[in-house]
Amino acid sequence: MSADQLVQGLIGGLAIGCIYSLIALGITIIIRATEILHFAQGEIMMIGAMAGLSALWMVDLPFVLVLIVGMLGGGLAAVLIELSIYRTLRKLRVPLINVIIATLGVSIILQNVARLVWGSEPLRYPPLFRSRGVEIGGFAVSPQLIWIVVLGFAMMALLQLFFRYTRLGIAMQAAAQDPDAARLMGVSVKRTTTYTFVVAGVMAGAAGVLLGSLFFASFNMGFLIGIKAFVAATLGGLGSLSGAMLGGLAFGLIETFSGVLISTAYKDAVGMVVLIAILLLAPSGIFIRPGRRI
Amino acid sequence: MQPAIRLLVLASLAVAPLIQTNTYWQHVFGVALIGAILALGLQLLVGMAGLLSLGQAAFYGIGAYISAALTMRFGVPFILAFLIAGVVTAITSLLLVPIVKLPSSSLAVATLGFNIIVYLILLNEDWATGGSFGLLDVPPPHIFGYELTTERDVYFLCLAVLVLVYLGLDRLVHSRFGRALRAISQDEDAARACGISIIRYKSKCFLVAAFTAGLAGSLYAHHARYLNPNDFTFNKSIEILIMVVVGGLGSLPGAVMGAIVIVLMPEFLRSSGELRLILFGFLVVVLMGVSRGGLAGLAPLLTQRMARLRSSASAKSAEPGEIKS
Amino acid sequence: MTALLRTKQLTCRFGGLIAVSNVDLSVEAGDVHGLIGPNGAGKTTFLNLVSGHIRQTSGTIHFNGQNLGSKSPHLRAAAGIRRTFQNLRLFREMTAIENVMVGLHANTRSDVFPSLLRTGAQRQEEKEIADRAREALDFVGLLPSANAIAGGLPYGHQRLLEIARALVAKPKLMLADEPAAGLNGAEARELVGLIQRIQASGVTVMLVEHHMEVVMRACNHITVLNYGRKLADGSPADIRDHSGVIEAYLGTKTVYARHCRRNPAEAQYAPH
Repeated sequence: MSADQLVQGLIGGLAIGCIYSLIALGITIIIRATEILHFAQGEIMMIGAMAGLSALWMVDLPFVLVLIVGMLGGGLAAVLIELSIYRTLRKLRVPLINVIIATLGVSIILQNVARLVWGSEPLRYPPLFRSRGVEIGGFAVSPQLIWIVVLGFAMMALLQLFFRYTRLGIAMQAAAQDPDAARLMGVSVKRTTTYTFVVAGVMAGAAGVLLGSLFFASFNMGFLIGIKAFVAATLGGLGSLSGAMLGGLAFGLIETFSGVLISTAYKDAVGMVVLIAILLLAPSGIFIRPGRRI
Repeated sequence: MQPAIRLLVLASLAVAPLIQTNTYWQHVFGVALIGAILALGLQLLVGMAGLLSLGQAAFYGIGAYISAALTMRFGVPFILAFLIAGVVTAITSLLLVPIVKLPSSSLAVATLGFNIIVYLILLNEDWATGGSFGLLDVPPPHIFGYELTTERDVYFLCLAVLVLVYLGLDRLVHSRFGRALRAISQDEDAARACGISIIRYKSKCFLVAAFTAGLAGSLYAHHARYLNPNDFTFNKSIEILIMVVVGGLGSLPGAVMGAIVIVLMPEFLRSSGELRLILFGFLVVVLMGVSRGGLAGLAPLLTQRMARLRSSASAKSAEPGEIKS
Repeated sequence: MTALLRTKQLTCRFGGLIAVSNVDLSVEAGDVHGLIGPNGAGKTTFLNLVSGHIRQTSGTIHFNGQNLGSKSPHLRAAAGIRRTFQNLRLFREMTAIENVMVGLHANTRSDVFPSLLRTGAQRQEEKEIADRAREALDFVGLLPSANAIAGGLPYGHQRLLEIARALVAKPKLMLADEPAAGLNGAEARELVGLIQRIQASGVTVMLVEHHMEVVMRACNHITVLNYGRKLADGSPADIRDHSGVIEAYLGTKTVYARHCRRNPAEAQYAPH
């Protein structure tokens, strides 16, 4: 592998990794708050991508605003689903597996609603950045990828700050860790759960715009990415924020480099083999030390 | 479920292709029965042993390709290819032995990974699988010198296999083996204290489930007569899981009903055009909300409702408190 | 006389915490051997070590003359060690009799193929399993509830069901972890009778229990643990009169308060 391939692989892997991380973070906070494996998270991301693109069609927006529209779209979709479906299911006290299957139902609904609204052809995102290459240490790097990495990291940093320093963030953490104690402290667990879906939706929406700008947007772009984000979250140890973040980045890098080094055809397979190996060696994920929750 | 109802279901399955003579529908019915065999196998894993597997389509695909290859390339008679497909698929499930001890969510993701690996092999190893073009012209099933060429004949073959698989699993569930699986799913520590080897029993459960999936795969190969790797992605695995949960976790008749509903519902909704899959998703969500036991849980739910209605009606005339809920 | 169970220097550490520390203990065949001590003394950990649900850090466990080493729990169960759990661990969605039938798993053989083919041997075995399970349910007095769902039984009956599940295999050693917890006075007295009947049927019992009346009546040998160490060992009468035990375990307020006044530094470690 040449040095150029190495640099390209690193940046590309980190960029796609950031996208996995953003979705995996949403999956993780939802698991922490509700134990639901949210299989529709990839579709929320798709809605974010579509929302951003639709805004672009209407007005020529700067990229940051497109991103924000995507985040709003993702957040809105997530909260609508939470309020109309998941909350009702929780109220009916159905077993967890029923809710998980319902998330698959939601994923089918969202995909097909999107197909109805945006059609079944992949949609091109207009170029959002200066297309001239950026030089880093003598290597030409796509500015697109750099932006994705920068924005992705910024978003994850903001999320950490949100959970550490805002009242709502702390309440959400508390409610996820010990709902009963949180209730005693006056936290409305019902509300924090809803906000959890909002935050997860916003992160996924951002991921959608970033991913769309990298490739294209289509009604079925979400499912496979969502599943991969799941794998990333598992890799980092389901239920840990930093685990989800690092798991996403690691999975992006593994996937990219196995595509370069081994074979493009089997790049997903390599990712899965690595995943299974890691699960066997460290069943609780690589980024969790036993006995401690991050 | 009462034996009478079971017989009724079997009877209606038996006459379905005689009433509906349209070959398209007969083909779809056959697919539904194959789905039922798949769902039965997964029911053993998820519903009985509590093993959340998202890789069942991998075994389905392995069985399908083995059976097709054996009959097409080596001229192996169908019956033999069918059985070998089951056995070899079961043997490949031994690859999962190291991961059976993983906790539920990790196991789900690991089996999903297995599915993706198998799919990529089916897709990329053109020399064996025909790659993305798939395998064309898989021969129809031959049994004892008869060639089953019509959709109806193949349907009855599928039905016969379904009945055998059902009876077999029913016997397993009500045996020492089935009790051990249910014990594991409810409390692993207590199961170990009763002398049950967790890893061995989970592995055996995968073995049996893979065997049934292999049989289903073989049937599918000779029923569809055309194989494509895209029939065996993890989407299929998830569809099988939906069948099982919609039918009712832990219930064998439920798995059969779930499969039939999940295969036929989109067909019935075809008239609604583009809304078809939206409605389908919506129905899945609604069913998950109204019945904790899926379709199999609906029947007792309805009888309960009836009983409550009757009791509230009789409470006015007779003395109260006859039926407590 | 050789002991049925003998531990040597048995030690178990969780991180920095030493739950069981260098415990030498032997249980004679035919005894009801009590294991008592304040909360956190390491009693349940000790049972978990013997049943194999936790691995020891160091030390050995010999059972029936054989070193258990790192044998897994299911092999120990097959060798004749059965147990009940402190916080009921039934197969809640199965019927009472099915729970007990699972208890015979290690003593029976029919597996996938015989069950599929319903061979004569398999049917014979299933019948024997059901018969023995019914016998065990009858022994603890639960036969009338045989077909009830285990999770729906009254609390006391669930405790009895766990005992039946352990007993059905006719183990050499039964480890009972607080079987009297949550029972009322009458039920506790019945439990003593049951333990005595279990002993009479030839099963050695190791009993972890807080309920002093049950311990004193049922046991003919008692070991006291405190902070993971063996504090005392002897007949119920010996233990009753053992001053250290009274202080550490029975730790009534007055005794303990006096102790704490003498050693203020230890007050924070007071057992609750």
